[in-house]
Amino acid sequence: MEDWRIYKHPILEFDRGKEFTIYLDGTPIKAYENETVAAALFASGLREFSKSIKYRRPRGFFCAIGRCSACMMEVDGVPNVRTCVTMVKDGMRVKRQKTLADWASPFLNLMKLPPQVYMKLFTKPGIIYKPAMKIMRQFTGLGSIPTKVQKDTIPKTEGSQGEISTEFLIIGGGPAGMSAAIEAGQRGVDTLIIDDKEKLGGQLLKQTHTFFSDVKYAAGKRGFKLGEEMVDQISELETVKVLTETSAVGYYPSENTMLMSGSGNTTLKVKAKKYLVSTGAYEKTLVFDNNDLPGVYGAGGVQTLLNVYGIKPGNRGMLLGTGNVALIVAYHLLQAGVEVAGVFAPSFRRVRGYFVHAAKIQRHGVPVVTRHTIVKALGKKKVEGAIVTKLNTDYTPVPGSERKIDCDFICIGVGLNPAYDLVQLFNPKMVNVRQLGGFVPIRDKQFRFTKDAYIAGDCGSIEEATTAVLEGRLAGLYVTQALGYADESVPEKIAEYEHALEEDRGSPFSTGLKAALQEITVDNIEEVLN
Amino acid sequence: MSQDELSAVQRGYNTREELEQLNVLPPEEKVREKRVAIIECTEEIPCNPCAVVCRVDAIRKEGLCTPAVVDWDKCTGCTMCVAVCPGLSIFLQQIKDDKGYVTMPYELIPEPKVGDRAQLMDRSGKVVGEGKIVIPTYQAKGDAYPRWVVTVEMDDPELSYEVRAIKILK
Repeated sequence: MEDWRIYKHPILEFDRGKEFTIYLDGTPIKAYENETVAAALFASGLREFSKSIKYRRPRGFFCAIGRCSACMMEVDGVPNVRTCVTMVKDGMRVKRQKTLADWASPFLNLMKLPPQVYMKLFTKPGIIYKPAMKIMRQFTGLGSIPTKVQKDTIPKTEGSQGEISTEFLIIGGGPAGMSAAIEAGQRGVDTLIIDDKEKLGGQLLKQTHTFFSDVKYAAGKRGFKLGEEMVDQISELETVKVLTETSAVGYYPSENTMLMSGSGNTTLKVKAKKYLVSTGAYEKTLVFDNNDLPGVYGAGGVQTLLNVYGIKPGNRGMLLGTGNVALIVAYHLLQAGVEVAGVFAPSFRRVRGYFVHAAKIQRHGVPVVTRHTIVKALGKKKVEGAIVTKLNTDYTPVPGSERKIDCDFICIGVGLNPAYDLVQLFNPKMVNVRQLGGFVPIRDKQFRFTKDAYIAGDCGSIEEATTAVLEGRLAGLYVTQALGYADESVPEKIAEYEHALEEDRGSPFSTGLKAALQEITVDNIEEVLN
Repeated sequence: MSQDELSAVQRGYNTREELEQLNVLPPEEKVREKRVAIIECTEEIPCNPCAVVCRVDAIRKEGLCTPAVVDWDKCTGCTMCVAVCPGLSIFLQQIKDDKGYVTMPYELIPEPKVGDRAQLMDRSGKVVGEGKIVIPTYQAKGDAYPRWVVTVEMDDPELSYEVRAIKILK
């Protein structure tokens, strides 16, 4: 059996836990206690996890954080389980979801029905809708609902049933959320922090490189160390409660209630006096031929494989984008002993990320190829190469400049979009600001985007982890003040962090961002919303 | 347009000539006198560990974002700044007994050992020669920034102006 696990890494040691056996369509596969189902399957060489609904194209590991749905499989009889966020259990039975459409799709493809036909098919008359729906579902490949679900396949989260209230609810346990919890919790605010992963830390836990910024805050520390430190700090605070594997699924302004769903079908209503949304960001993607092939990964997915589970995404990869994320992932790949064919992007004016990040990969032989873009990914079932082309300054391809890049995976690192879904439910005023990454709410100087809801980190503006930490700390302090817990140290601390944030944004990289932030920051949010 | 005609920020690495123009490289007499630090961090980013860690006050940073300047008279070549730099952009250089020595951070596999032969790469990643590891130290200040700091010896002293990475040959 193939084994893509990394056993020697210059920075990390992987604590994989006990060895388990799981079964993929009946075949035994080696897995470890601390791996997700998708990670274990990937390590064994599986690349195709599911098929697309309509055309049955192969779908593989992509985001690794339970967002993209490409890794949905049947696990222990339950269909549509996102295997990338489901932990391995000994003896687990995993199946690829097969459907009627597996044999029918070649014919459906030939018919090339326009989408509106699919939308209107069998919707009228009402009488045939229900039975037709049943048959249509069979074609989508979304599995069948088990007639008898074993009781033990649905775990219960203790104490998370029903309704609770808290003073301060933080949604998202990344750098911003954890910082806010620490600042508020230390000062006695009754705080609840929730995250949909199995542990707090967010993307910090995947960062093996050391951070920039001021040594007083995070500089010089490796990201995962900083994350672990913050998790420890939170666990020592009695005022801060933590709920992991819990997603916030809806906010109801009229009832001031956040609805959450925990692991194993539990639901929970939380009423809080103050909310902090620190949900982070989604990765942007890129349009090119075959960009859905297994082997085209998001940068976050590659980081998760490499640095959380210690699994190589392939033998030789190429990266798209010259922002910090792509440059850093290229370096992470080198550290894991994976070859990197190059970093490709248009980037006419300059390499978009920090110069030093580009310099450190190039001296190890990874070319940063600007004025180029990818045309298509090659391969039928998985990536077997890519075609890139040179670009003119008007973004048209230079004729005859196409060339093949040998690689077995392609990593997209072209930037992030704020994860604004939950923010919107608070009825804020949303604006689309390119410099901040996309849709963000208008906020006031205290990071409030409605009367009782605060925002911090990447979901408010795409920046660095170090700025997310400072914003989170500030948000925690503002909430502390608003709830009346402030001691004399609070105004002093606020002034200190505000100054640090200002300094962190002092480089030419942040000029556009700072101006954009100023434009969407008002004096008092309540006046704007009313 | 070839990659060579691009500017440093379009290319993503500096050439020796560009660094000389920016006064980043130490004068030859300093390099022949002792081991000194070279900070190849030429753009404004918010960062300051090098200036904070320097025990002899040889690294000056006016603000969090202004590029660092080394005072080569004060620098003792202690390697602390090499170990802490988050951008891995600080190196030490020395020319002694007509041999070149470059000290650099190293975060890859395999683990460096005294006497290991290594391929020498310049700033663009081009292999420019072969050298020998003379001092590998594992630097760690508390738990915060553990990292190998490796010194390689090369026969051609001129190469010490170019070599910025190694690949250990096994």
